[in-house]
Formats: sequence, C-alpha cells, structure tokens
Amino acid sequence: MLWTHLGYLLPLIIVASGAVLLMLLSPVERFSMERFSLFTFVILLLALGVDIVYFGKLFTAFPMEGLFSKMLIVDSYSVYFDALILSGALVTSLIGTHYFQIKRHFKKEFFSLFLFSVFGMMLLVHANELLTAFIALEIASLSLYVMIGFQKIHDKRVEASYQYLVLGSISGTFFLLGSALIYAGLGTTILGDLGKALDGLMGKDVSLIVIGATFILVTFLFKISAFPFQNWTIDVYDGSPLPVTAFMAATFKVAIFGFILRLMLIDLDPIRDIWDTLFVVVILATLLYGTFLAIIQESLKRMLAASSIVHTGYLLIAFVSIGYAGESASSSIIFYLVAYFLSAMGAFGLISYIAADEHVRVTYEDFRGFAHVHPYMAAMLSVFMLSLAGIPSTIGFVGKFYIFTGAIEAGYTFLAVCGIIATFISIYYYFKLIALMYFYPACEKEGTMIPTLSGITPITIGVIAIAVIWGGIGNTFIAYFPGVDFLIDTARLSYMSLFIK
Amino acid sequence: MSIGILSIIIFLPMVVALALMVAPFSSRITRNAAFGVSLTIFALALYIYTHFELTGTIQFKEFYPWIKSYGISYSLGIDGFSLIILMLIATLIPSAYLLLWNNARSKSYWISMLFIQSGISGTLFSLDLFLFYFFWEAMLLPVFMIIGLFGSGNRVFSTLKITIYTIMGSLFMFVSILYLGVAHYYEFGVWSFALSDLVNITTIAREQKIFLFFGFMLAFAIKIPLFPFHSWLLQTYSNSPTGGVFLLSSIMAKLGVYALVRFMIPLFPDLFAQFSIYFVALGIFGLVYFGIAAICQMNIKKMFAYSSASHLGFITAGVFALNVQGMMGSAFLIVAHAIATGGLFLLVGVMERHLGIRSLSGLGGIATKAPWFTLFFAIMLFCTVGIPGTNGFVAELLIVLGIFHYNPYLGVLSALTVLVAASYMFWVFQKAVLVKSDNDVSNMKDLSLYEILGLLPLAVLIIAMGVYPDLFLYKIEPTLQHYLIDILHVGVK
Repeated sequence: MLWTHLGYLLPLIIVASGAVLLMLLSPVERFSMERFSLFTFVILLLALGVDIVYFGKLFTAFPMEGLFSKMLIVDSYSVYFDALILSGALVTSLIGTHYFQIKRHFKKEFFSLFLFSVFGMMLLVHANELLTAFIALEIASLSLYVMIGFQKIHDKRVEASYQYLVLGSISGTFFLLGSALIYAGLGTTILGDLGKALDGLMGKDVSLIVIGATFILVTFLFKISAFPFQNWTIDVYDGSPLPVTAFMAATFKVAIFGFILRLMLIDLDPIRDIWDTLFVVVILATLLYGTFLAIIQESLKRMLAASSIVHTGYLLIAFVSIGYAGESASSSIIFYLVAYFLSAMGAFGLISYIAADEHVRVTYEDFRGFAHVHPYMAAMLSVFMLSLAGIPSTIGFVGKFYIFTGAIEAGYTFLAVCGIIATFISIYYYFKLIALMYFYPACEKEGTMIPTLSGITPITIGVIAIAVIWGGIGNTFIAYFPGVDFLIDTARLSYMSLFIK
Repeated sequence: MSIGILSIIIFLPMVVALALMVAPFSSRITRNAAFGVSLTIFALALYIYTHFELTGTIQFKEFYPWIKSYGISYSLGIDGFSLIILMLIATLIPSAYLLLWNNARSKSYWISMLFIQSGISGTLFSLDLFLFYFFWEAMLLPVFMIIGLFGSGNRVFSTLKITIYTIMGSLFMFVSILYLGVAHYYEFGVWSFALSDLVNITTIAREQKIFLFFGFMLAFAIKIPLFPFHSWLLQTYSNSPTGGVFLLSSIMAKLGVYALVRFMIPLFPDLFAQFSIYFVALGIFGLVYFGIAAICQMNIKKMFAYSSASHLGFITAGVFALNVQGMMGSAFLIVAHAIATGGLFLLVGVMERHLGIRSLSGLGGIATKAPWFTLFFAIMLFCTVGIPGTNGFVAELLIVLGIFHYNPYLGVLSALTVLVAASYMFWVFQKAVLVKSDNDVSNMKDLSLYEILGLLPLAVLIIAMGVYPDLFLYKIEPTLQHYLIDILHVGVK
C-alpha cells in the first residue's frame, strides 16, 4: 500500500529532490552549466517516465492519507496535467540549451529554481486543499520571479521581475483572503468536502462563499492574464529571458487551469452560474483588449505576449461553457492548452534561438526576407503562426474547433461568434509575419549573426512543428500512434476521474 | 486499407509538392513533375467520367473515421455537378501549365500550383462539412503564397487582403457548421458533421436557420464574388501572377457556386427557395454592375476581372432560378466561362510577358504580329460574349430561359444585359488586337508550340460543346433533377 502511494507521488518526489540536489551542488565548481542543464533534463525525463506509467488509466486516490490527510490527490486528471507540465518543462530545457550556452550570465542556481517552479506547478494540480494550493502557487511564482530577473545586467529584466513580484504577490493575497472567507463560511478547506458543505447550504445565504470564491477567481484571472488583470503580461513577458517567457506562457497557464478547473467543476458547481455574466464581460474585454494590444505591437515577442491574452480569452470561453456542456468544454480546455502550449512553445523557442545574440532586436522588421536566408526556420515559424491563428491542418485549428463547439453546445453561440471575430483579426498579426518573411527580398543586417541549424534546440523545435501539424491532421490511419482522437479521449478520461467518488 | 481514386486525385499533387519542396531539383524538373501530375490526374478524371453512372446519387465514395469523438470523418464522393468541375480542373490545369511552360521560372511557383490543385480537389470531393471547411480554408494558403511571392504591384497588401477577406467569410461559415453539428448532437444524441446526417436536422428554429443560411452564404458570396463582396477582386486579379489569377477566376470562383448548390440546397431547401428572388436579382444586378465597371477599365486584366465577376453574377442567378434550365445553364456556363476566362487570362499573361503591363490605349495591331494569338483570343472572346456556335451561347440561352420561367420581368432584363458583355469585349478586341495604331508592339511574338498545344483543347471544347451540348449535359442532368425534384420539390420537367 505504502509503495503504491509512493509510486503515485514519485514524479513529485523526483522533481523536488532534484531541485534540492541541484541547489546544494551549485557551489561546486567542478560541475559546469552544461552538466546542470543535462541533469535537469534527466530529472524531468525521469519524472515524466514515471508519470506516463499512470497515463490513460482511470483512477483516483489520496496518497498517504494518514500523513497528508486529503491535502494531496492523485487521479487521471492530475497525471494528465503532470504530463503536460513535465513535457513543457522538458521542452523548455531543450530549447533553452542554446540560449543558456550563449548567454553566460545565467548561474547554475537557475536550474534549481526552474525545477522548484516545476515542482510548484505539479503540486498545484495535485492540491486538494486550498492552502496547499496557495503554497504550491507561491512556490511556482516565487521561483519564476527570480528566474525572470536572473539576468540582472538588464534593466528590463529587473523591472519585469519587480513588476511581476509586486502584482503577483498582491493577487496571491486575494487567494489567501478568499480561502479564509470560504473557511469561515464552510468550515473546511478540503476540496470535495467544500462541495458537500456547500450543497448543504443551498437555499441559505452563501454570500461569504461567493465573495471568497470571487477572490480566488481574481488570482486565477490574474495568473492567466485575463482582463482587467492583463496589464503586467506584455512587460513581464517582454522583459523575461525568452525560454522563461515560453515556460510562463505555456506551462504555468496549464497548471493554473489544472487547479481552477478542479475547484470549479466539483466544489463550486452549485453556485457556478453566479459568475456567468461576469465571465462573459471578462471574455469580451479580454478578447477585445488582447486583440487591440496584439495589433499595435512592433516587436514579435510583445505581439506573442499580447496574443497570449487573446488565447486566454478563448480558453475562458470554454471555461464559462463548462456549466452547460461540462464534458466537452472541459476537455476542450485541456486540448486547447496542449495546442497553445505546442504552438507558443515553438514560436517562443524559435525566436529565442534566433535572438540568442543579445543585440538582435526581434521586431517584425527584423524578419523581412527571413525565408530566403533560412527557409527551414521560416517554415517552422510559419507553422506556429498558422497554428496560433487556427488555420486548418494545424493543431490550433482543432483546438478552436473544440472550444467553439463546446461554446455552442452550452448555448453561448454569441461568445463563439466573438471568438471567431477575434480569430479573424488575429489573422492579420500572424500573417503579417509570414508575409514579411516570404514576400520581401532578404536584407541581412550587418553584425547580426543568426545561428545555423544544428544542435538540440532546432531539432526540438522541428519536432514540435511536426507535432503541431500532426495534431491538426493526425488520425487513426497509423496504428498505435496517437492522433487527434487520442488527445481528446485522454482529456475526457482525465475529466471523468474528477467525478469518481 | 486501399486508397480510393478520389484520394489519389487529392493527395498526389500534395505529396509530389512536398517531395519537390525538400528535393534539390531545378525549376525545370519541378515543372515537368507538376505537368506529369496534372496529366495523371487528367487520366484519372477521364476514368471517373467514363465510369460515372447516370443517376443523381453520390458515387466513388470513400469513408474513413477521422476524429471519432466528434463523428468527423474523411468522407469523399462525387455527383454529377462535382464531376463536371473535376473535369474542368483536370483539363484546365495541364493547359495552364503548358502556357506557363517557359514563363514561370521559380520552383515555388509550381509547388504552390500543386498545393492549390490538392486543395481544390479536396474541397470538391468532401462530403463532411468539417472536412470541406478544412480544405476550403487550407486551399487559401498556397494562393496566399503565390500572389505574395510572384505577384506584381502592391502584392503583399493584395494577398493579405484576399486572405483576410475570404477567411472572414469562411469563419462565419465555420460557426454555422459547428451550430449544425451541435444541433445534430442534441437531436440525435450522436455527433456528426456529414452532410447526409446534417440534412436531417429538424429542430433549428427559423430565425436561427436564417443566420446559418447567411453564415454559409457570406463565405460563398465572397469567394464567387457576389455584389457587394467584390472589393478584393480588382486588386487581387490585377496583382496576381498569371497562374494565380487563372486558378482564382476559372476554378476557385466556381467552387463558390458549386458549394452553393452542393451544400446550401440540401441544408436549407426552404430558405433557398424563399430567398431565391433576392439572389436572382442580385445576380442580375451584379451582371450589369460589373459589366459597366468593366467598360470603364483601361487595363485589360482589370477589365477581364470585372467581366469574370459579371458572368459569375449571371451563373448565380441561374442557380437560384430553381428550374432545370437555369441550373443546367449555370453548370454549363461554369464550364464555358472557366475555359474562356481561363484562356483569356492566360493569353493576357502571354501578352504581358512580351509587352509589359499596358493599358488599352497602349496596344493595337497585334493581329498582324501574332495570328495564332489572335485566333485563340477571338475564340475565347466569342465564348465569353456568347456567340452562337460556342458553348457560351448555349449556357447563356439556358440561363435566360430559366430566369424567364422563374420570373418574366427578370428574364427580359437578363436577356438584355447579355449585351453589356458584347459591347466591351468587342471593343477590347478591336482596340487591342485588330486595329493598327502608332503604338510600338514590335516585341509581341506569336504563341509558341507549347502555348498552342495548351490552348487547342480549350478551343476545341468551346466549339464542341457549343455545337453538340448534349455530349456533356447528359452526365449532369440526373444530379440536377435530383436537387430540384427530390430536395427542393420544384421544377418538375
């Protein structure tokens, strides 16, 4: 029994002990950055390997209930999200290799922090209790604050780090206050019990809980950068080292959604419709404002940051639909997270690869004629842009299909149309890049050296690009190889595990 | 798992294009390979044509599940109406390749053409709306590339404009498709996006249905283009390279009309019949409006762009006339116009290559320099105008008859408006080709052997179909009867 439970927790244990080990080893001069990078990679791979063992099985358990009470949960759902987070971290470490080699200001502690933040995110999707969730959230966030500001020679980094730190901490306190209010109203902070207690209160005054939950949602909206808490996004994403931006944009969002879906689907289910109108407003504002921001950006990195706000809007459309089309909407969120994760990771990763040299500014104009010099990189970048824009034959399209179908199923046709309009406008800022890359003669600026295609980073990005296309057209023709169906089916399975009592 | 013939037609160009993209071949080898592919497809299309049975049913079906959890399948099939467009593609594309033979020297030009052919065939064969949308939008990417890479003038702006414009339309269609899928799920408890399933939906209220109808209509109207969704047309046509404008005008625009018949009639039979009067009127209005716009143009390419839109208005009017003459005429005009306009744009491409881009006033006296050119130009032109003996005449006659049956007033109007085309077309012919002028056209050369070979089948088809239309009409008639009688419940012969 103990061993089974330890097995459940093994991915968490591996990542946490790896993080501690790296921290302890960092003063040892003998180990180089490269070694650390490799070690991080091995740890993550190991954890993912253990996690995969449980992948695709339907189960739910409270590991070591005697020790942890019901603070932690392991079910198909958390396994799925663990797999996502770990793959995200793996990809980050792979595409970061080149970046960290070129930029010498990174110290070895960086990798320890990186693992700590991965640990925090994983803990978050395992959290079955509000305070545990808060601690997990703060572990992940604190590590990120430092990772952003690590390269302290840069004013922009420090500013980003500080901005994120201050705003993030404030939003964190909302979570804490919300938990306190919920505890005051229901007498427990354990998920599952919350829902039962809430059921018992139906028909009575639940305003305390509504206020508490709203506070928690504020933190949620802040972390996924939805309107009106989106202001930090562009500056922080822009100010961070690119691999960290990729990690934040793709992986952190996954973890946040992992927790909040659990909370919303099970515990706040009876009172969920209270926030419907609020969410509709938030979605419209997020889509509108994100689109506006994305159009006016000149730097590619800032455009991607702004467009991540728009993608948050799409995710929220599915999020509000879960009340009326629970299964398809939830699995569509999970699928879209994968789709966005792949496309954004690829895009950020490629740009970080191109821009590893400090003096390259990555504006749209810098990509003029890029395709004629680097056809393969341009092709990959185009694939990611097409996927982000949701053009058929990419995974982004299938993701949008799921989201909008879920919305229509839930009766939110209006929101689906708004999402479509945002998609339509997004064509402009994504296609602009493709047009610039292909339709102008090359103008290589002097002194900018763009690395050639070799090493682990471009291979990883190439694999992601293929995955993006496969996700869009893949099917069951090739036996034993997961296609589009596989992702959505496992997402459904993980959704079902939430309801095993 | 065996691969069906339709799948081969769709994926052969794509696979070859992908292979050519990676392979370090020269543009000549690429061109020869592309031409080979187009000939293979022509052979396959001929096979289908001869084995096609004369019923209104869907034949050569293929079906594989794709995204099972949403009932989306890869399902293909053709009926008589798609058959003629298939034949059109199969015949026109090799011709176009012959005319571009020594003209397009870049590898990516040919690769884009191959991709476009794949996308067009996919759109044409899809029986699943999700799949249809998939190809419909994916088809746009190579068009985007070919205009952006090889266009002239303000090409980047034009290519972004056509992309964004068409995607806007298709996205609204996308919502409509999703809505139908969800409605099917709520009514029958299973997901499906197959056309044959979606037509069974009965639960959608009329108001919503109108929205869905116009969601589809917007996508098709932009593609065709119908008035007032034509603002992308002029710039795109005049800035596109010859191959691009050829594909856009002669094939992709026809796909809009095709989709109108294939999807909108079965999905919304009642609304189709109810709104038909507006669309017949709109079509005729477009015919006049674009005709007048064409007269005002001094650039041949722009003039033909408007002339093409004008004819497409006419075709649309025929489709909405709700009787077998109108629809048959439309099908006929689709073919006639595709051949003639395609040929004309290719000829203009030849002229541009020799003389550069010129306005009408800078031309004249080409006839003496290039007799072959003049001959083919004349045949294509006669077909566009609808001179008896060409297939254009048969088609226009049928449509006018159809509209007459539908509404005599509109019929009279449409009969008169055919004159518009005649006026500007003959004027162009006279001014640019026949009459001698002081302009220097000494650079003009006559058609090369390849070009003559490419245009000859088109010219033969124009005459053959004009003299003996039944040769071709019998293949499509059962399908149209099926649409009219079984689905729309009108137009019993």
